[in-house]
Amino acid sequence: MMPVLHIEPSLTTPEIHFDAEKGYFSIKGSSYPENSLKFYEPVVQYLAEFVRTHVPDPTKTLILETELNYFNTSTAKVLLDIFRYFEQLHEKGQPVKVRWLYLEDDTEMEDAGLDYQAAVRLPFELVALHEEA
Amino acid sequence: MQLLPQIVKSVEQLLIGEKIRVPLRRKIISTLIELAQNVIHYSITNYPYANPAISLTREGDNIILSVSNPIHSSQELFLRTYIENLLSMSKEEQLSLYQSVLTKSDYTDTGGAGLGILQVVAKSDGFQYKIEPLDQEHAYFTIEATFHAATNS
Repeated sequence: MMPVLHIEPSLTTPEIHFDAEKGYFSIKGSSYPENSLKFYEPVVQYLAEFVRTHVPDPTKTLILETELNYFNTSTAKVLLDIFRYFEQLHEKGQPVKVRWLYLEDDTEMEDAGLDYQAAVRLPFELVALHEEA
Repeated sequence: MQLLPQIVKSVEQLLIGEKIRVPLRRKIISTLIELAQNVIHYSITNYPYANPAISLTREGDNIILSVSNPIHSSQELFLRTYIENLLSMSKEEQLSLYQSVLTKSDYTDTGGAGLGILQVVAKSDGFQYKIEPLDQEHAYFTIEATFHAATNS
């Protein structure tokens, strides 16, 4: 049984809440650490272990939800790595859904979501939020 | 040292005060973050005669973000070649290259994506740069990104 991975947000890093048992994975806030690889290392390790040990359950859909306001280009690359882990789960027969949340008039974040939607082979839903947090 | 988030917060408040809408605020602040982190990663730090500088100005509908830092003169040829190549491309080619580097390239030695300047060139409405000699071994590198408030509203 995998423990919950929870990382509190900071001014430059998002809140991470990965709960493998519940099948809910969330990244929320700003993400522009000076070293994104270092910040996301525990996240990537968690996912690698999860992919390695997870037995697909077709009755359950894993949800990866992102709600980002600012992120730097090195985070953009790490996000793609994270999506690739969910692709592996999806390829193993595990239902997965990515929910990319953005403010409804934020065309920049919508475009970023559309780019990822095109780049990954995953059910990828863009969800417009109606008010600024 | 949390200087960058303080700058980001100040600039965001400034842009809200200027009634700049969310998508353009995102573009400007994303550009600020990329350029400031480029300075943090690549600027030389042991040169006492020139410091990094960031300025944000508004001239009518144009919002201009300028970021400067001292570099070793040996970096000039690489920077000029790289930037001139990007500037010779259309916006579509720049965005396509961005996607290609994002999805196919590895991380840089500093853990970056190698996408900072490319993103700024692709996302800004105007891009200029200059490299001015400071002495035999050092130069001052400035990037100026322009955003049109009218076309982004």
